[in-house]
Amino acid sequence: MTNVAVAGNRTAWRGRLGTEPVAARPPLDARRALQLLLAAIWLLDGVLQYQGFLFTNGANGFSGMLAGTAAGNPAIIAKPITWDANLVDHHIVLLNAIFATIQLLLGLGIAFRPTVRVALAASVLWALGVWWFGEGLGGILNGGASPLNGAPGAVILYALLAVLLWPADREATAPFVAARAVGAHVARALWAVLWLSLAYFALTPDNRAPQGVNGMIAGMESGEPVWLQDLMKGAASLTANQGLATSVVLGIALVLIAVGVYLPAAIAKATLVLAIVVAALIWVFAQALGGILAGGATDVNSGPLLALLALAYWPLRSIATAPPTVPVVGEEPVASEQEA
Amino acid sequence: MTPSWILDIFAAIMLVVAAVSAARLVAARPWQRGSVITDTDVSHLLMGIAMAGMLAPSLATLPNNSWAVVFGVLAVWFGYRVVRDYQANGPRALAVGHCAPHLLHSAAMVYMFLAITSPAASGGSGMNGMAGMGGMSGMGALHVPTLGFVFALILIGYTIWDLDQLSSLRYGLAAAVAGAAAPALVSASAGTVDTGAVSRSDAGGGAADATPAGSGEAGGRGSWGGGRSGGMAIAILDSPGTVVGCRIAMGVTMALMLVLLL
Repeated sequence: MTNVAVAGNRTAWRGRLGTEPVAARPPLDARRALQLLLAAIWLLDGVLQYQGFLFTNGANGFSGMLAGTAAGNPAIIAKPITWDANLVDHHIVLLNAIFATIQLLLGLGIAFRPTVRVALAASVLWALGVWWFGEGLGGILNGGASPLNGAPGAVILYALLAVLLWPADREATAPFVAARAVGAHVARALWAVLWLSLAYFALTPDNRAPQGVNGMIAGMESGEPVWLQDLMKGAASLTANQGLATSVVLGIALVLIAVGVYLPAAIAKATLVLAIVVAALIWVFAQALGGILAGGATDVNSGPLLALLALAYWPLRSIATAPPTVPVVGEEPVASEQEA
Repeated sequence: MTPSWILDIFAAIMLVVAAVSAARLVAARPWQRGSVITDTDVSHLLMGIAMAGMLAPSLATLPNNSWAVVFGVLAVWFGYRVVRDYQANGPRALAVGHCAPHLLHSAAMVYMFLAITSPAASGGSGMNGMAGMGGMSGMGALHVPTLGFVFALILIGYTIWDLDQLSSLRYGLAAAVAGAAAPALVSASAGTVDTGAVSRSDAGGGAADATPAGSGEAGGRGSWGGGRSGGMAIAILDSPGTVVGCRIAMGVTMALMLVLLL
């Protein structure tokens, strides 16, 4: 902060510029840091939801986008989606403004310590609703799911992260952040189920077809900046007619990632790095950074969330003597943990 | 196209930010000896007016190029301050210092005013720029949209960080209340503060850093003390929550504008 002092009729800068003391601060708790990243993603989603095209109805508008997710799903899933799409179609401006504001508030609520629990709980409910009514369960029931297009639905990852980053401590000496709220066994099981399901989706007939991966990448290029289009064209040419090989390699990588958390810490770290790399590659080359730069995104897609999830499983080492960091309101401080 | 009433709401929020900043500047009584005003208040005031003009055509004031110059000057100033902070405190100055976010805000404003691909970009008025903004939503209205996206990401990052810090125990949500008593500790001489008082000059870190008085950078709203009854209203106006709240509102709105212009 710079102050200007006005002495007499003269205004002068007070103090010695550039020498503001920066007080020592306690290290940021790893879970809180991940919560803040999750909050940032929610906030970005909220901002994205205010984009103009999401306030348009009809087949090419937001309501049409929602209705499209019903295709191929069982009737019990599809009918509510269609009903919801019709409702949105008739009240597009009001409802989308509400949707955007809710996501904005979720981000702000998670970042604001006194409301973190409420916001995380609300985010789980909201994410489950969007997963059904907005993403058609991520396409897992209609055969269209692929790790490259965001399966099992980016928004369900928000819910999973909210649960894993819940500010409670089931295990005081948790081996990784995600284990603190639900315990190591449950956390590892959730991780394995997620990544094994991704491996399964990578190997479904549609995705291992010769042009399956190529077509998916090529379909995302439109409207992107030239540099991103060039990257994606390179990836598309590499995978042209290589759908089976690409799917097998991706499937093997995903299985390795899935079992990695059950292995010793050193190997687990390697598989987590692999998870982050795979998530980054998917986000850039297959998801085009979520399509944000093309102006057609409603969220960041699954890439950043998978990477964030991997960070939540990064092995920790406990430091029993370290003081607890600033706790979330209502949270019992435990022995702090630092990244190993 | 994003409905104009939504943009109007954000414009109104920006006007509130500008009004709060103006009130803080007035309350600092810059015309009196020993008064203290802050560059961040000046920055918030200007940004609030400029952003409101971008969001709502009827609120446009200066031509875009003029605003670009204004925020270019602010960016240079805060850049200078960041360099000095960095020299004094190292990389931590970027995370917990006060000037880095304001440098980012100023730079983002310069980028927005220069990169809009509307008639406003060629020297038109802010009103034109706003008309372009609504119409350009999601239609590639910014040159180098990747840079706009990066700006939006960093703005969101700082906003989230600010919110976390604002609600942390270090800030102390009771700062506003405590602030009512703090001016009594302030000496009347040229805004200096008695030992033990705490700088409340900038909530971006003022309370968090708890700068000891007399360290050369303290003072805050020193001139409000010296027997003048500030009262609770001034305490709230001067509280960390108020200033950081303004910065948070500005960060969210600026990120929104950047995304709408992608």
